[in-house]
Amino acid sequence: MRFPKGLLVASILLFAVVVQTTLFGRIRVVTPDLVMLIVVLLALTRIRPELVLATAFFSGLLVDLLGSSLLGLRAVVFTTVAYIALRTRERAELGRFTIAIWAGLLTLTGVVLLVLIGTLFGQSSLLGPNVVRSMLIVPIANLVLAALLAPLFVRMVNQDTTALRFS
Amino acid sequence: MLSQEPRGRTLPTLITLLVLGVLLMTFDVRLAGGGVVGVLRTGTQTLVSPLQEAASYVVNPVADVIDSISKVTGLQSENQALKSELAEAEAALIAVHDQLARLELFEQLYELETAGNELGRTVADVIGRPDAFDEALIIDKGSSDGIAIGQPVVDTNGYVVGTVKDVSSRSATIVPITASRQAVTVMVGDQIGTLSAQAGTILMRLEVFSARSPVLATARVLTAAKSANFPAGLLVGTVVLDAVPFADVLTTTVEPFMNADTLRVVVVLAWPPDPVTPRLDDTVAPVESTTTTLDSTTTTTEGDG
Repeated sequence: MRFPKGLLVASILLFAVVVQTTLFGRIRVVTPDLVMLIVVLLALTRIRPELVLATAFFSGLLVDLLGSSLLGLRAVVFTTVAYIALRTRERAELGRFTIAIWAGLLTLTGVVLLVLIGTLFGQSSLLGPNVVRSMLIVPIANLVLAALLAPLFVRMVNQDTTALRFS
Repeated sequence: MLSQEPRGRTLPTLITLLVLGVLLMTFDVRLAGGGVVGVLRTGTQTLVSPLQEAASYVVNPVADVIDSISKVTGLQSENQALKSELAEAEAALIAVHDQLARLELFEQLYELETAGNELGRTVADVIGRPDAFDEALIIDKGSSDGIAIGQPVVDTNGYVVGTVKDVSSRSATIVPITASRQAVTVMVGDQIGTLSAQAGTILMRLEVFSARSPVLATARVLTAAKSANFPAGLLVGTVVLDAVPFADVLTTTVEPFMNADTLRVVVVLAWPPDPVTPRLDDTVAPVESTTTTLDSTTTTTEGDG
């Protein structure tokens, strides 16, 4: 039985938001940005690029609505990261290792953008005591998770067991 | 480096969404988190909070185990320290019982009655945070438990944590003072100043205008009676560096007592007890506020409540 793709992506994103705000809200040692990772990995799927951008935008908006910072901040950042991911995805599809590096670099771009745009809009709360640590830990955590989960995620969303099988 | 993708409407979609995002940010800044944006936040939190609550039942034990593993080396010394703290606390408790008995006796002698203005307290569990960059805390109590926007929050030791920013029926978001744009009106010794968060550090900046005397390191900083957001006398932190007044202004740094990273339980205070207190002429007193620009970020300073 095939699961509707839109519903599947929405469920995965909601799951990511809940896990992000609960589990990784409690464990401060390892803190990935699951929602940004999902947005990056969506670029590797067969979903239309415009839909990937729209999904990125609304995922960011959801995280903004659950937090205390400016509404639209993560929406803008996630959309930009998704666009860069769409434009560079061909470079990533070489193997598991390149996907991980690619996801890590895109996450780094995302967190730098988040801090920069947030600062421009007076969001001093983004520059909390752990900002430098978070700017390093989040991309590394996403890199590791991408290496582990990217092929599985793409196969699930594409509903194609042959996707991202590297020799 | 970038792949060529001439077909499709990717770029126009990107531009449209970015413009929409910037418009939303501008709206949020203009509305200061209220209006439609506030309604949207409350609605979203109402929808997601049951899921977060359910997840926290599973997550909390896992997080506790991971916490314990990361702290296993320090557990023995922490245990010893806690035992000595417990002994001290028990001794202090006996002294307090004696004082209460004397107080009761004096109350009976002078026929005093309690004012009945004790603050309502709602104990809540911290169930998470929005993400690695947002210092806000999500708690498992909301408007159905009597929590309202703007109420002060302390930790279990009574140290100031922050204020409630958003509330849904079953959850609330708290912004700690170390991440808030709003400064706290505080008292150090007999001098009143403002305490504001600084970027990239947990230390806060204390400014005392019309300063009369120096402030010494380890001096305690408490919320002032003039504070519009906190009841008077709550412990906030200690002064880190000695400071002397310069042209009537004294500036120093303060280390807050609370640590937002380790908070598991917080207490929300129902303060002010009567939020809308009419003046004698039956007009509601507005909260005055001034805005100053510090380090390229706007800081709103509490006015007299």
